[in-house]
Amino acid sequence: MAEIIDDEILIEQFRRGDESAFERIVERYSADVAALANRLLGWPGEVEDVTQEIFLAAFLGLKKFRSECSLKSWLFIITINKCRSYRYRWKLRHLQAIPIPINGIGMRLPPAEEGDSPMNAEDFQRVRLAVAALPARYREPVVLRYLQELGTDEISRILGISKNTLHVRLSRARKHLREKLTEIIE
Amino acid sequence: MTEEEIKKLLREADKTAGGIAPVRVNLSAIRRRAGRRNMIILVAPLASAAVLMVALSILALMFRTAEPTPEQEKIALLETQIKQLQARTDAALGLIQEVLEEERKQSRLDELQAQLASIPDPLEEVQNQVDKTAFVLVYQADRLYRELNQTDSAVENYNRVIALFPENRWAKVARQRLSEIENKKNLIKQI
Repeated sequence: MAEIIDDEILIEQFRRGDESAFERIVERYSADVAALANRLLGWPGEVEDVTQEIFLAAFLGLKKFRSECSLKSWLFIITINKCRSYRYRWKLRHLQAIPIPINGIGMRLPPAEEGDSPMNAEDFQRVRLAVAALPARYREPVVLRYLQELGTDEISRILGISKNTLHVRLSRARKHLREKLTEIIE
Repeated sequence: MTEEEIKKLLREADKTAGGIAPVRVNLSAIRRRAGRRNMIILVAPLASAAVLMVALSILALMFRTAEPTPEQEKIALLETQIKQLQARTDAALGLIQEVLEEERKQSRLDELQAQLASIPDPLEEVQNQVDKTAFVLVYQADRLYRELNQTDSAVENYNRVIALFPENRWAKVARQRLSEIENKKNLIKQI
């Protein structure tokens, strides 16, 4: 609640011309935005460009923001839109039929962290491919629900769909993922 | 594969991917781009309007100064001639219609006059009857005087004609007859 009030204060300050309020918004939300962008784009690891685009759009649109949702949700909406156009532009450039993680450039397998029981590289790649192969309308709810751990209300608001539609899309996404990933579990 | 298993798999993959390095958002670049964008928003309509004005001026100049080609001149001439012919045709048609209307009216008039002419003039009829009657009386009087030697009856008839039809030509004849009879009587008296 305190955070929401703080957000409103920051927005009001920004509207009055205090650009330092925007710096504080960036500090508060850049990590979350970058993490979401990273997941939506299939874990490319480097999301600085797209994050820059997201916050540019936020800077330009913040004065018109009417607080129909929280500032965080609003930033997530911008993130989803920017990631969509980023993927689209990438597809146009590469025109590859086989869906691969969108950031083909510099794609790396992250090193295993000590003490963790991470996935092996092959399984990770399969999960990555399976998620990347999902259509955007299924992938986005999957990322927001299972990775960002947002509630159905908030996801519905962010994606602009009803809860019923959200449940249907999640169900279909799970079906796709089951087909691709059952072997990993087995 | 349950929902929980899928969720666990995705989270493991996310963990395996590792966190991303802290993202540095370049705020001064954002401010610069925002400023540029605002400038474009302000300037673009003005620039478009200016380009449009220049284009329209060029077009106007082109149309004003461009010489018509021979084909265009021919077409223009033909169009003028067609318009003139059209006007003449319209005038001729108008005239023809007027003439036809006149003829129709005349024909109707003739018809009515013929009908009128076929109706006998009642005055004439009466005049004829009068004439006939006067003639018959004079004729009877003549017979009475010349053939039957009934001078007094003849004189009576002559006088009747004169009395009834004083202006009629047979009344004139009747007067002549009376004058003849009077002269004859006077002659006999002298002898």
